[in-house]
Amino acid sequence: MDRTPDSRPVDAPEVAHAPSADAPSADAPTAFERLMLPHLGDVARFARALARDPGAADDLVQETYLQALRGWHTFRPDADPRRWLFTICRNAFLRGARRELRYVAAPDDDPELEALAAAREHGAALRDGTARQLDHLDLAPAVARALAALPAHYRVAVVLVDVEGCDYAEAAAQLGTAVGTVRSRLFRGRRLLQQALYAHARDLGVVRDGGAGVARPDDAPAPGAARREGPPVEALPPPRGASPLRPQP
Amino acid sequence: MSPSGSSTPPPSVVPPAVGGDPSPIDCETAVRRLWDFLDGELPGRPHAEVEAHLRACDRCPPHFHFSARVQRALRDGSAPPPPRAEEEAALRRRVRAALATLAAAGAPPDDGR
Repeated sequence: MDRTPDSRPVDAPEVAHAPSADAPSADAPTAFERLMLPHLGDVARFARALARDPGAADDLVQETYLQALRGWHTFRPDADPRRWLFTICRNAFLRGARRELRYVAAPDDDPELEALAAAREHGAALRDGTARQLDHLDLAPAVARALAALPAHYRVAVVLVDVEGCDYAEAAAQLGTAVGTVRSRLFRGRRLLQQALYAHARDLGVVRDGGAGVARPDDAPAPGAARREGPPVEALPPPRGASPLRPQP
Repeated sequence: MSPSGSSTPPPSVVPPAVGGDPSPIDCETAVRRLWDFLDGELPGRPHAEVEAHLRACDRCPPHFHFSARVQRALRDGSAPPPPRAEEEAALRRRVRAALATLAAAGAPPDDGR
């Protein structure tokens, strides 16, 4: 239904308002709302993963929709409304988070160094017993807390890929950057998450140290013993979307 | 999200990539690719090389398993609870009211495009 210039929504939307079958309701959704409001649930979920608390998340959702309305004239008819809203939400979040950003520019030229460092740190956690502490934990609450504590730029990358399930190309489109930047922020963010988990495990329990109070390098397990720390290779989850016959990019 | 494309079976039972068995890679090479591998972002040959390495190596699989476990926790359980139905309804009302206020204040036309 079209909104005439004179129609305004009633002032008390909570009041039950049964629209007449014949007259257009003053509460009728606009074309913008008909296209964009169905995604409110998804935007709200995304906002809750980005923001630190539900109140800030709701504010972010409102700001997202207001920004979207202001920019409605730029929305291409063939564009994906959900992706458009997510981009606006992410931008609004990063604008609001500017003051709290602890973003240290990570060198983009070799994000794989983060993977190497994460593996080294996991090796250390295996040797000093920290990893064993984590074996017995439900990781989800600790991971949620660690995610909320990540600096904003890293958090957005991890939320897009690990929570929302974007692949690198989609996350790059959302962030308005290159895939290399996604990998850099994502890998650093994941490494920081794992560090937070080790710190949490150490806070929780006594690190096994053979009784001497200090983890000694010669306590490292024999090479074959590492296999006991994890399930067989076949139990690794199939990588998302992977096909070994995927063409080279 | 990238589609899975062809109907290939899970990676662990797929024959090696074109050209024969994947060449062995060392631990550093495998670990560099850790998150690309778990994210399914590696093309065929590098992916197969990592898989073969994980079958042959004692030290690397635990790192891959731990990272996969953290990713699962993020994906499955760590997202904050989504708004409950009544919270979402209240948020929807609030957003609609804010949109109406903005439109009434002279925002660009929001329909008729």
